[in-house]
Amino acid sequence: MKNSLRYMALAALFAGASCAASSTDGFSALLNKYCVTCHSEKTRTAGLILENRDFSRVAEDAQIWEKVVRKLRAGAMPPMGLPRPDNADSDRFATWLETALDRASVEHPNPGRTLIHRLNRTEYGNSIKDLLDIDVDTTDLLPPDDAIDGFDNVAQMLTISPVLLERYLSASAKITRLAVGDPSAGITTTIYRAKPDLSQDAHVDGLPIGTVGGLAVTHYFPRDGEYSFQPQLSRSILFIVHGMEDRHSLEVTIDGQRVKIAQFGGIEEDTRSHLNAAQVGDEIDARMAFRIRVTAGPHKITAAFLRQPSDQSAEVWQQYLRTALDSNETKGAPHFNRIIIKGPYDSTGPGDSPSRRRIFVCHPAASQDELPCARKILSALARRAYRRPVTDNDMETLLSFYQQGRNQKTFDQGIESAMRRIISGPEFLFRTETDPTGVSPNTPYRISDLELASRLSFFLWSSIPDDELFAVASQGKLHERAVLEHQVRRMLNDPKSDALISNFAEEWLQLRNLRGLIPDPNVFPDFDDNLRQAFLKETTLLFGSVLREDRNVTDLLTADYTFVNERLARHYGISGVYGDRFRRVAVTDDARRGLLGQGSILSLTSVATRTAPVLRGKWVLSNLLGMPPTPPPPDVPALKEATGDAPLSMRDRMAQHRASPACAGCHRVMDPIGFSLENFDAVGQWRVKDSGAQIDAHDTVYDGTKIDGAVGLRNFLLTRRAVFVQTMTEKLLGYSLGRALGYYDMPAVRNILRDASREDNRFSSIVMGIVNSAPFQMRMKPAEAVEETSAAAE
Amino acid sequence: MFISKKHLPRRTFLKSIAGVSIGLPLLDAMIPALSAGTTAAKPQLRCAFIYTPHGVILDKWVPKTAGANYEITPILTPAEAFRDRFIILSNLAENPAKQAGAGHASSSATWLSGAVTKDTAGDDIHAGTTIDQMIASKIGQDTPMPTLELGIEDVSHMSGQCEGTSSCAYLNTMSWRNPTTPLPAEINPRIVFERMFGDGSSAAERYARLQEDRSLLDSITSAASKLKIRVGAQDRTRINDYLDNLREIERRIGQIEKRNTDAQLSVPDAPTDIPELYEDHVNLMFDLQIVGFQADITRVTTFMMSRELNNRTYPQIGVSDQHHVVSHHMYNPAQMEKHQKINTYHVKLFAGFLDKMQKTRDGEGSLLDQTMILYGSGMGDGNVHSHDPISVLLAGGANGRLKGGRHIQMEKHTPIANLLMSMMDVAGTPIDSIGNSNGKIDL
Repeated sequence: MKNSLRYMALAALFAGASCAASSTDGFSALLNKYCVTCHSEKTRTAGLILENRDFSRVAEDAQIWEKVVRKLRAGAMPPMGLPRPDNADSDRFATWLETALDRASVEHPNPGRTLIHRLNRTEYGNSIKDLLDIDVDTTDLLPPDDAIDGFDNVAQMLTISPVLLERYLSASAKITRLAVGDPSAGITTTIYRAKPDLSQDAHVDGLPIGTVGGLAVTHYFPRDGEYSFQPQLSRSILFIVHGMEDRHSLEVTIDGQRVKIAQFGGIEEDTRSHLNAAQVGDEIDARMAFRIRVTAGPHKITAAFLRQPSDQSAEVWQQYLRTALDSNETKGAPHFNRIIIKGPYDSTGPGDSPSRRRIFVCHPAASQDELPCARKILSALARRAYRRPVTDNDMETLLSFYQQGRNQKTFDQGIESAMRRIISGPEFLFRTETDPTGVSPNTPYRISDLELASRLSFFLWSSIPDDELFAVASQGKLHERAVLEHQVRRMLNDPKSDALISNFAEEWLQLRNLRGLIPDPNVFPDFDDNLRQAFLKETTLLFGSVLREDRNVTDLLTADYTFVNERLARHYGISGVYGDRFRRVAVTDDARRGLLGQGSILSLTSVATRTAPVLRGKWVLSNLLGMPPTPPPPDVPALKEATGDAPLSMRDRMAQHRASPACAGCHRVMDPIGFSLENFDAVGQWRVKDSGAQIDAHDTVYDGTKIDGAVGLRNFLLTRRAVFVQTMTEKLLGYSLGRALGYYDMPAVRNILRDASREDNRFSSIVMGIVNSAPFQMRMKPAEAVEETSAAAE
Repeated sequence: MFISKKHLPRRTFLKSIAGVSIGLPLLDAMIPALSAGTTAAKPQLRCAFIYTPHGVILDKWVPKTAGANYEITPILTPAEAFRDRFIILSNLAENPAKQAGAGHASSSATWLSGAVTKDTAGDDIHAGTTIDQMIASKIGQDTPMPTLELGIEDVSHMSGQCEGTSSCAYLNTMSWRNPTTPLPAEINPRIVFERMFGDGSSAAERYARLQEDRSLLDSITSAASKLKIRVGAQDRTRINDYLDNLREIERRIGQIEKRNTDAQLSVPDAPTDIPELYEDHVNLMFDLQIVGFQADITRVTTFMMSRELNNRTYPQIGVSDQHHVVSHHMYNPAQMEKHQKINTYHVKLFAGFLDKMQKTRDGEGSLLDQTMILYGSGMGDGNVHSHDPISVLLAGGANGRLKGGRHIQMEKHTPIANLLMSMMDVAGTPIDSIGNSNGKIDL
């Protein structure tokens, strides 16, 4: 086999490292002295027995030893308060175990098995975009996918239900109708809303200069034709349009061109609206509505208020940064609510949209040209969509759909009909890999170049391969190391690798939870959607800088720069930043450096009214240190809160909680980490007091290290930086494979880490390590060959 | 049964503004269209399962005395007008839920099966087949949608937030087709509507699309069968699922086609989007269930009015704290009051559903007469994640098989699975056992 050479090379590498396996007696002594009290045959704490372990057969207990290695490397065992071996001994033991485990894996490699993988909602949307050059809102078309450990691209969880299939069918109809500009699609209505807690007294990113508030959207117009636009303003619970006491102008633009300007408000209208609010509101709606001819394809629509001197008076009313909306309030700034786009009316044709340009690579001039042209169009689409060469069988199927549509309607609709078959079929929706016949069961084998190309593009782009990647794979060259490396670098440089930010980073760091974050407006009256968006943007820009500038991934913890706009700078107390554009600034406050100083992480680990040190501790342990705490016991003992007295500080309340033995074990690990961040409140603002009491951010973390505040926590994490890099690598490897990692993957992880550490743990070195790893390039043929052939014959 | 008139102008749904939003829910406007052409059909049982999370303040839910003359409790007060239409069942327990993780996810996942959910965040999720599915396999097979799963919260931003070591799958639905297949709950009323009535603006267009769907399904099924031969055993299981589901969709299309030829199916315009306000959203989802029942598109629905562990706040009733947080009230009276307010509010919305069901004519009686509705939570005391006792009630006439106006006090620790057994009897689908059942409840 091709791979045996690689294994032999690796085996030789480990042979050198392993000859020192002489002093295993010392390890037995170490285990007996520090571990066996709790992990004996009798006590079995956490179901783990470390008594009388045979060090000559480490490989047989790989699952157990991998756990031990993890705890030792993180410094998490023995627990705080119990005697510990000194660090050198503990490290030596861990290193010996790792070497033995890695050597065993070279002898008996297990790259795992990635299962059949349905495209998840994000992958589906990206693939459609790359295939048909059309951006569709998949959240509207498909149900969400279930996630494991935060990741929604895990093959096993990508289950199938009748509802899902129905939705795939209806999505395929909608998408192809839109892409082709089908005249039978009829008139459709789309509503775009501004977030209800968006503050609209300042310029919003993406809107014309000189405006405040409003909304920018890219709308896909299915055909050339007339469309109606109905902008609507927010009204109070009594139907009164907000901000009426001053005269305002709303401007609507399409692709930067003003297409409508409408006035409202002022003394006269304000007075009338207090007499008949609904009528005046409807008049204003009518004044803002318009119909206009638009060409097919995506166009950027904005609606915003013109900035004018009278906005000053609006600000006088405002007590808080947030302008949005108490539904009883009618004073202050006007608020844009939504825009309704409907059409097309009097359509003049499908037009020349980007997706039609992508799809119709030929236009039949006469009827005898039609079939060859259909063949050309459909084979190009099917090859991209199926991520493999198109077979005669495929073409036969597609052409029969084409013919059906053609016979009933037009050439275009014939193509549309066949396209529907392409994007609703299993060839597109499932990523399958086939075991080669020549490989015996229970044996790892190298996947084909085409399969590798798919793995690569779904890993780095969350989408299908592009033409170049496909070409290299078709030539059978992709597995060649230099070729592969070239492709990976090219793909990382492509903007499509933003998928690593919007999928991997957002899922790893749980940033998607920001969307549902609603701090209690009574406690945090300044919090608004502008801040929520800014939080997300700051963290994704930081991750993006590590990706795009190919930095050491520990910069995520230590970065002395960050990205802010005016709103976020104000929140952090950074001066001299004006406007809605994000820019890179130096972080001068030591506590704010890296992820743990960012409003995003600090607020998504809080609850609506207060911080939650437990959640912060849990977040750090799970996502930065790879040690998710075990869940609370079934019946959490209830704690009586002192009633009537002054409220207890968070620390006092938690101290009570920790006093319960059932809770102490885990909380002793989680809480100190959380407490060190107590100077950041539930929306990430700096504070020195909580409920009137001075905050004490000193604590002792699980390995006995004393830390002080956010800086102390960061310094502690840096002493465990290898654990952090490993955790991120594990998350990224699991993400790249679309499966949960097992103990048998750990040798591959260590391999990746060894190589990456030689390149300063740069982001690309970890990606390259993953792409070159056995789990990524190989697959295990299962031990079921006999059963399989008989089943196949049935 | 069919819907005879195009009744509702789309403008009804569009003319809504912030804070007011969809004022006139779907149903009110549709009833004339729905009832005008309704022929007297033979009475047909319907079932609805309505879930609320985090349990309740128990002593404000459970009446002090058993029998018919109980005094209505504060939480149930908004539904008092319907007290002769529901049975309160106290002392029921959902102990299998206790065994999994921290108990929120399992509360809803066990509710309709009485089965233990496997505590895993991994790919080996396992729960019990739920009774909505079992009942539907008997009474729903000649409707286009044997069951309809509805929810309110968008779960797509849930990441890493699912409970302890247990999978998000347990949290996101309470309906399991089989032990490994959770059925996702749909939250968008427009999509529910399109699934019910099809996509297309005229009967001819809808018919053409159905034909197209049918030939697509044929082709996809044959491709999937070929694929099955090429893949390994584990993958083959997945492809088998896929094939089963494809057949199910084909069956549905057959049903819809049949309906199209049986009657002139003319439907109102679809709701445009998810309403901004919780209350409007919940009401619209209730309306869709009623419409589905009335048009005989579905006979079995499940609806999570809110999902376990959710962080929704209820400023409209003066509770700006997150529901999950107040449910851990630590017996602090102020926090308990907030939890109770939310419990009461949910009952109020539920009572609105009962009211509409009662007002909707179905055959000789009302829809409420024909329906069996389970309402409640898989938790009792949310503060300690207790599953014993829990809070549920059974409403509706179930086609003459249920009589309300009572509080049945069970022996302590009676499994809710016993109630599920009895509900299966009522539905005419008796089973030998389910989950941890050890008997039946005399309803």
